[in-house]
Amino acid sequence: MHDEPLLSVSNLTVDLLTAKSAIRPVDGVSYTVRQGECLAIVGESGSGKTVMNFAPLGLMPTGVTTSLSGSVRFGGRELIGLPEPEIRKIRGKSIGFIFQDPMSALNPVRRIGRQIAEMAELHLDMTPRAAEARALELVKLVGISDPVARLRQYPHELSGGLRQRIVIATALAGEPKLLIADEPTTALDVTVQAQILRLLKDLQRRLNMAMVLITHDMGVVAGAADNIVVMYAARAAERGPVDKVLVTPRHPYTRGLINAIPKREDPIGSQFRGLPGIPPTLGAPFKGCAFAPRCDFAVPTCTASRPPLVPSADGSVFVACPVVNEGRAAA
Amino acid sequence: MTHRPVLKVENLQTRFKSVQRGKFVHAVDDVSIELYPGEIVGLVGESGCGKSTLGRTIVGLEKATSGRVLLDGVDLSTLSGAALRDSRRALQYVFQDPYSSLNDRQTVGEALDEALQIDGIRSRADRDRRTKELLDQVGLADVVKDRHTRELSGGQRQRVAIARSLAVNPRVLICDEPVSALDLSIRAQVMNLFLRLQKDLGVACLFIAHDLELVRQAASRVYVMYLGKIVEHGPSQELYDHPSHPYSQMLLASVPEANPIAERQRKVPLMVGEVPSPTNPPSGCRFRTRCPMAVDDCRQQVPPALKLSPGHDAACVFAKDLHRGKRSALLEADANAERVGALVPS
Repeated sequence: MHDEPLLSVSNLTVDLLTAKSAIRPVDGVSYTVRQGECLAIVGESGSGKTVMNFAPLGLMPTGVTTSLSGSVRFGGRELIGLPEPEIRKIRGKSIGFIFQDPMSALNPVRRIGRQIAEMAELHLDMTPRAAEARALELVKLVGISDPVARLRQYPHELSGGLRQRIVIATALAGEPKLLIADEPTTALDVTVQAQILRLLKDLQRRLNMAMVLITHDMGVVAGAADNIVVMYAARAAERGPVDKVLVTPRHPYTRGLINAIPKREDPIGSQFRGLPGIPPTLGAPFKGCAFAPRCDFAVPTCTASRPPLVPSADGSVFVACPVVNEGRAAA
Repeated sequence: MTHRPVLKVENLQTRFKSVQRGKFVHAVDDVSIELYPGEIVGLVGESGCGKSTLGRTIVGLEKATSGRVLLDGVDLSTLSGAALRDSRRALQYVFQDPYSSLNDRQTVGEALDEALQIDGIRSRADRDRRTKELLDQVGLADVVKDRHTRELSGGQRQRVAIARSLAVNPRVLICDEPVSALDLSIRAQVMNLFLRLQKDLGVACLFIAHDLELVRQAASRVYVMYLGKIVEHGPSQELYDHPSHPYSQMLLASVPEANPIAERQRKVPLMVGEVPSPTNPPSGCRFRTRCPMAVDDCRQQVPPALKLSPGHDAACVFAKDLHRGKRSALLEADANAERVGALVPS
């Protein structure tokens, strides 16, 4: 075991400034990922889960001024404040990315083999010939049949599942220590999703990589992740091992989310369980708990000040809820 | 239940010209389905199986190559002009993405008013009254009327889209993945809206979705589609408890569990090969190229739908064995024996 986790994010705050508005999509979030470990980051759209992972690596749209505070340490190096050329050496090499939509992540007019080889050339200083050989290895690694023929194909000739396997192969080309997968199976069918998840899990184990899995699907989390951070309105609501957080969720938001998953036992035609109200829009940071307006357990203290993340009795799960932490709500 | 279907689709076929000259994409092939008044019926299958094309053909967004769509027993292809427009109004479509199905420059009131004008309500006061009623039906406050659709959240937008399709008093709603673009916490609210509309207005609803658990809870009956054909159909509970087509079994076994301990023990079905191209579908049973149970017969002829129990049928020669509890060999594979293992270079 290393002393320091591979990725250590502490008190990360991201402010985005556009010509018209200023928002804070990430507000004081902390977590760590160790080598060989998979962390799931769960939240609804607009909860900040994607920005949190991409902003420190300079992956933001143009026209937006990003201001970061806090600390993001990767492999013992501080990423915040690192100049762009330095970040560029890490991005795509030691940190690989998988995006949601495999079609837009690939170049439609270049052969698959070239796209994978390009990554190996760029990041591992390989000769084109060596890189082509590496591409073949990678395509085999991600379980694609008839790999030699596939390398000569274009992305549009492949199915969604195969494309996503190619995207994974591309992400692995730089031999990353950390893989950030942003909704890697959302665009895929359920039958393909199961295979891609097993593949990611298998690769992670085999290559001893760390993985950050950004998703909104609890089923995906359950199968792949070791730990989870539940995000709500730019902040972490709950954090801990999946075996605890998914089985006995403590934060009212986590509980609501898990309770909202339809179960086999639910009678046909019965009401769907959900959460009341709508998620807040990001703007100025909230004074108290952002979930309070939708929460059944809210008390006046919830809106008075921002609830801190407090560890559970055994120290494994952290929850930002004054009611849970005072032990007044049912555990 | 009324015993006359409000919507009946008979042997519907929709083909598109392929980029390969002289070939056709067989998107929907010989599909027959029925919808009774006040019923939610699920249509499930993977992307590319033709479920959206089927929905679009029913409402007339695509042209059927052959087959009939009957609304209250009237064949829509025999109608023209005003009669056709009247019938079309009874069939409404709710699209997946409420961000592209509404005009950003319209206010909610304008969006609804437009639909009401098309429905032929002349008086402004009547339209205003109806707008209010529609907003109330979909659970939106009256004040939303003056907001632009772009100012609304995804869930609110989908409610407006639903209100808009309800404006013309439809008998049938074809809902194409109506909640998959919405956040988990909002999904339940919109699903409950569908349940209520079905109860209050008696609208029949064909619910096209890939989320199997969602469909099970909402729908009384389910059709399973694979590569342009219905492979299994039955009452939801029965079909989910006794899936009797190897494809349905595989589909249902693919749904992940949200409980990590159960999920780790779950056996993941291993898919054989890829979905074949609908331009050149396999002969006989279309699933045979990926089916672990396929025998020579499957190649020879299209398996007929076998009756298994009241209202439950599956188009597989082994349907009766599968219905009795036999599990397709596909599901026996152990999750740990993942296929990629063999392919990893040393």
